[in-house]
Amino acid sequence: MSDTSPERAGGATGADPSALAQTIVFSGVSVVRDGRTALDRVSIGFEEARVGIVGLNGSGKSTLLKCIIGLVAPSAGTVAVDGRDALREARAIRRTTGLLFQDPDNQIVMPTVDEDLAFGLKNHGFSKAETAERVAGALVRLGIAPLARRRIHELSGGEKQLVALAGVLAISPRTVLFDEPTAHLDLKNRNRLRDVLHALPEQAIVVSHDLELLADFPRVVMIEAGRIVRDGAAADVLAHYREANR
Amino acid sequence: MIAALARPGSSPLHRTAAARKLAALAAIATLLFFVDAPAPLGFAFAAGLAAARSTGVRFAEIGSDLKGPAAVLAVLGLADWWLVDAATAVSVVLRLGAIALFAHAVTVTTSTAELTAVLERLFVPAERLGLLDAARAALTVTLAIRFVPLIVEEAREIRQAQAARGLDGSITALAVPLMVRVIVRAEALADAIDARGFPPERAVVAPSRSPEIRPDREVPTP
Repeated sequence: MSDTSPERAGGATGADPSALAQTIVFSGVSVVRDGRTALDRVSIGFEEARVGIVGLNGSGKSTLLKCIIGLVAPSAGTVAVDGRDALREARAIRRTTGLLFQDPDNQIVMPTVDEDLAFGLKNHGFSKAETAERVAGALVRLGIAPLARRRIHELSGGEKQLVALAGVLAISPRTVLFDEPTAHLDLKNRNRLRDVLHALPEQAIVVSHDLELLADFPRVVMIEAGRIVRDGAAADVLAHYREANR
Repeated sequence: MIAALARPGSSPLHRTAAARKLAALAAIATLLFFVDAPAPLGFAFAAGLAAARSTGVRFAEIGSDLKGPAAVLAVLGLADWWLVDAATAVSVVLRLGAIALFAHAVTVTTSTAELTAVLERLFVPAERLGLLDAARAALTVTLAIRFVPLIVEEAREIRQAQAARGLDGSITALAVPLMVRVIVRAEALADAIDARGFPPERAVVAPSRSPEIRPDREVPTP
C-alpha cells in the first residue's frame, strides 16, 4: 500500500510553521500598469508564519502576492524570496511558494479532481509514481479523498476551493499565498477553510476582506492606494482599518 | 460528448492504451467514410453500440451523454431525406452515429491526462518544425474540455440576468457580457497556469523527494 502520509504527500503536518517560513523582501517595489499605480515604492519584509493583508478593492493586495511568485514584474524595485529574485528565479520560487486564487474556477485546469492535482506535479517534474502518491496524500490531508475521480463542474464552490488548495499543497510548498480565499464561500465552507488555514504547517500570507479570518494573526499589513499604511499586530491594524473605512 | 468524460472501470477498453484507442477510432472513422451501403453501416452502428456498452456505461447514460449529437444527427438526417433521398439519410445517420458511439467508448475509458499526453506526442513533429509548442497545444485541448461546461453555465446565468431585465432573446445582450467574462477568466487562468509551474520541465529526470530547485532558463524582462 502506498504511503500517503502528509509528510510525504503535500506537506509536513505537525511541522513548525516558522521553521518552514521563507523570508520575502520587497525593496522599493512599484508596479504601474495601464498608467495606474498598483504598488507605490513598497519596501517590506515577511518572515512570520502568518501574515494578513487588508485593503480596499484595487489597493494593490493581489498585485503584491503576484509579485512574490513573479507573475507581475515590478516597474521598479525587486522582490526576493529567501534571497532568490522573484523574476529571474520564478520557476524555483513557484516550487516552494503556491498561490491560491480567489476563484477556484480560474485555478483548476483539468476536468477531474485527481488529474488537476497531478497537473502541477507534472509541471514540476515529479515521477508518475510520486505524483499518484502526492495526489492521494493531499486529498487525504484536506479530507476530500472521496472527490478524487469527480468532475470539477459537479463540485460545490467550497469543494472546488479545497481542490485548488490541495493542488497547491501537493507540491509541498513552504509558503502558501491566499488571495481572498473565502470570498466565494458560504458560512459553512468559510469556517471549514478557516480551520484548514489555521492548521496549515506552511507559512501563509493571506489577503482577505474577511477580518475574522485574520483576527488572531501575529501580523497584519494594511495597504491603501499601493502603499503600506499600517503594519503591526492584528488587533491594532484591523481596528484602524475598520475605523478608516466606516 | 464533453459531458461524458472518463469514468472509472476495468473493461478491456479501460485497460487499452489511449494511443491505440485513438488510432483505432481515427481508422474506423476514416474507413466508414468510404462505405455507403446501409447494411455494413448498420453493422458498424451496432458494433459502436456494443463498444459503448462494453465500457460498463448503461444505455440510458449513453443516450443522455449523446443527446446533443443525436439532435444534430436528426436534423442532418431530415435535411438529407428532404434534399436527397431516404437511403442517403439513413447512411449518413448510421455512419455518424457509429462514429459518435465509438468516440463515446473512447472518451469514457480515457482520462483527460492520457488524452493530453497522446496529443502532446502527436504534436511533437509539428513542434520540431517550429509550427507550435506541443505542450501548449495539448493544454489548449484540455482547457476546452474543462471550460465548456463552465462557459455554458455562465451563459445560462447571463441569460437569466438579462431575462430579469426584459432582454431575453437578445443575442447581443448575451454575447457581449459572456465574451467579457471569458476574456477576464482567460487572463486569470493564464496567471494560474504560470503559478502552477507550466510549461513542464521536460529535461528533468524524475526528481527525488525534494526536487532540486533550478533557476529559470529564461529571464523575463522587467
